[in-house]
Amino acid sequence: MAKKRKRTDAPAEAAGADKPDDSAPERPPRTLFGFTEPAPDAEAAPAEAGSAVAPFRNKEKVLITCSRRIAYRYRHLMQDILSLLPHAKKDSKVESKQSKGSALNELLELRSCSSCLFFECRKQKDLYLWMVKSPGGPSIKFLVNAVHTMEELKLTGNHLKGSRPLITFSTNFDEQPHWKLVKEMITQIFATPKDHRKAKPFHDHVFAFSIVDGHVWFRNYQISVPHNEIDKVDKGGLDKMTLIEVGPRFCLNPIKIFGGSFGGPTWYENPYYISPNQIRALEKRQKAGKYAKKVKAKVRRKMHEMENTLEPDEFAELWKGE
Amino acid sequence: MVGLAREEALAHDEVIMDDADSDVEVSDSEDDSGEEAQATPSENAIYNKEAILEKLEDIAWPKNVDWMHKLTIEHDQGGKVDVNDDLARELAFYTQALDGTRQAFEKLQSMKVRFLRPTDYYAEMVKTDAHMHKIKGRLLSEKRRIEEAEERKKAREAKKIAKEVQAEKNKQRAKDKKEQIESVKKWRKQRQQGGFAKGNDDVPDLNFEGEEGFKQSKKKRPGVSPGDRSGGLAKRGKEGKNRRSRDAKFGHGGRKGLKKQNTAETTNDFRSYKGGESQTKKRKRS
Repeated sequence: MAKKRKRTDAPAEAAGADKPDDSAPERPPRTLFGFTEPAPDAEAAPAEAGSAVAPFRNKEKVLITCSRRIAYRYRHLMQDILSLLPHAKKDSKVESKQSKGSALNELLELRSCSSCLFFECRKQKDLYLWMVKSPGGPSIKFLVNAVHTMEELKLTGNHLKGSRPLITFSTNFDEQPHWKLVKEMITQIFATPKDHRKAKPFHDHVFAFSIVDGHVWFRNYQISVPHNEIDKVDKGGLDKMTLIEVGPRFCLNPIKIFGGSFGGPTWYENPYYISPNQIRALEKRQKAGKYAKKVKAKVRRKMHEMENTLEPDEFAELWKGE
Repeated sequence: MVGLAREEALAHDEVIMDDADSDVEVSDSEDDSGEEAQATPSENAIYNKEAILEKLEDIAWPKNVDWMHKLTIEHDQGGKVDVNDDLARELAFYTQALDGTRQAFEKLQSMKVRFLRPTDYYAEMVKTDAHMHKIKGRLLSEKRRIEEAEERKKAREAKKIAKEVQAEKNKQRAKDKKEQIESVKKWRKQRQQGGFAKGNDDVPDLNFEGEEGFKQSKKKRPGVSPGDRSGGLAKRGKEGKNRRSRDAKFGHGGRKGLKKQNTAETTNDFRSYKGGESQTKKRKRS
């Protein structure tokens, strides 16, 4: 009963936290309940390292589900993301009627997950991705385009399953508040916790999130650098480093940001977003417009002819009756 | 846009899940069909910056959390990236990832963390071995296809050149032949003019050394050694004795007259000699 918590991160944290903690008085050694040894430095030090008392531990757990009637390509995308995130749990398909908020929140609580990636597929054509932080956290709804799964033969890279990724962001994530929120949520969801059971040791792949044209683009690359030792790169090694794309690839278009999980007050709407239904309707209307335009043009021509009649042609009778 | 105005009406305190599903009201007038996304479509889009920032503070990890937990790098994109130019866009992503990895590796190296995977570390990979095998097969077949196309192109070029060279050679040969005939005619004329009793002074200057001499056809029969008098046709089995004998007698390119040849058998063959009759005949006469 001496130590209440596992101090796995303690050496790393304690190394950074060298200030003596004067504010909190030390506990008197209790003889009855076993605090016989004086509290070691590691206990006192973390008062200012990271959060209030405990060293920071990433206990993120992501729930990955999808709606029914999801298309094969999006299902494979979901499975690919599942294999990239060792701290993710997959759950069975959610009935579309149930996907109205409350059922999904209950599911999150049940599986004790702190965030959720929910793939909602509508009309078997459009994929929407919800990124949700569980207990009352914000939720973001994205439209997913340009999906390429890992199965494609042109994406030739490969990496360890469960190794922790390096995540790169482009600097335009820091420009506006809603992008900052997106960046924070992506970091929390996609970064594998350091001491997770299923996490593998080395770092051999890198995620790239960038904002281009108001969309978030995702790429996953395998790092290949010629090396002989495992903790040091050779002299010219960094220059000879190449990245090979592993996949998957997708592009997210943010639609709305809500205050609660799977609902709540709308905090942000993307002004440039047009729903795929509207796009399809516009296209159809364009096509339909062709015939209407033709008819109109005919009528207009007739009106014009009626108004300006031609003079009778002098030479009309020239060849007649020869 | 009508769509967004409608969404606003539903907004604020409701669960908004269905906006993508309901039908779009058709209210466009006749003349503006086909309107794409405008530059700033709806000025009344909601943007609650304070609430967002507040929530961000709530959910964010503590500021001084160790970098090892996050492993994030920021990279400046530089100029604007054109979305529609695929190559430029992918290049931008690639450089972002590359730069980020370089920075991260430097950090990791300074922290003395083991971050490079040794080559003999076998563990489950994110793509199965069978899949990687398929990828390899495809890459190899692509390479082969490219090489074949290159070879075919080269062969075509070579053929063209060879044809030209051949044409040249033919022309040259024709010219030489003509020249020779001309020179013989000239010589004859000269002799005619100068009388025939000259002797052999004016031997026609048939320049034999000019060309390379008389050359037998260079067409070699494949598989025939130069010393083979039968011309490579001695070994032709499985034809039946009738076929063979007829071939030899009448065949085009049959066995080249090996009938009368001094071989080991024929020198010691005295069957045809019957006590040397011919000699006695001759002796009797003379």
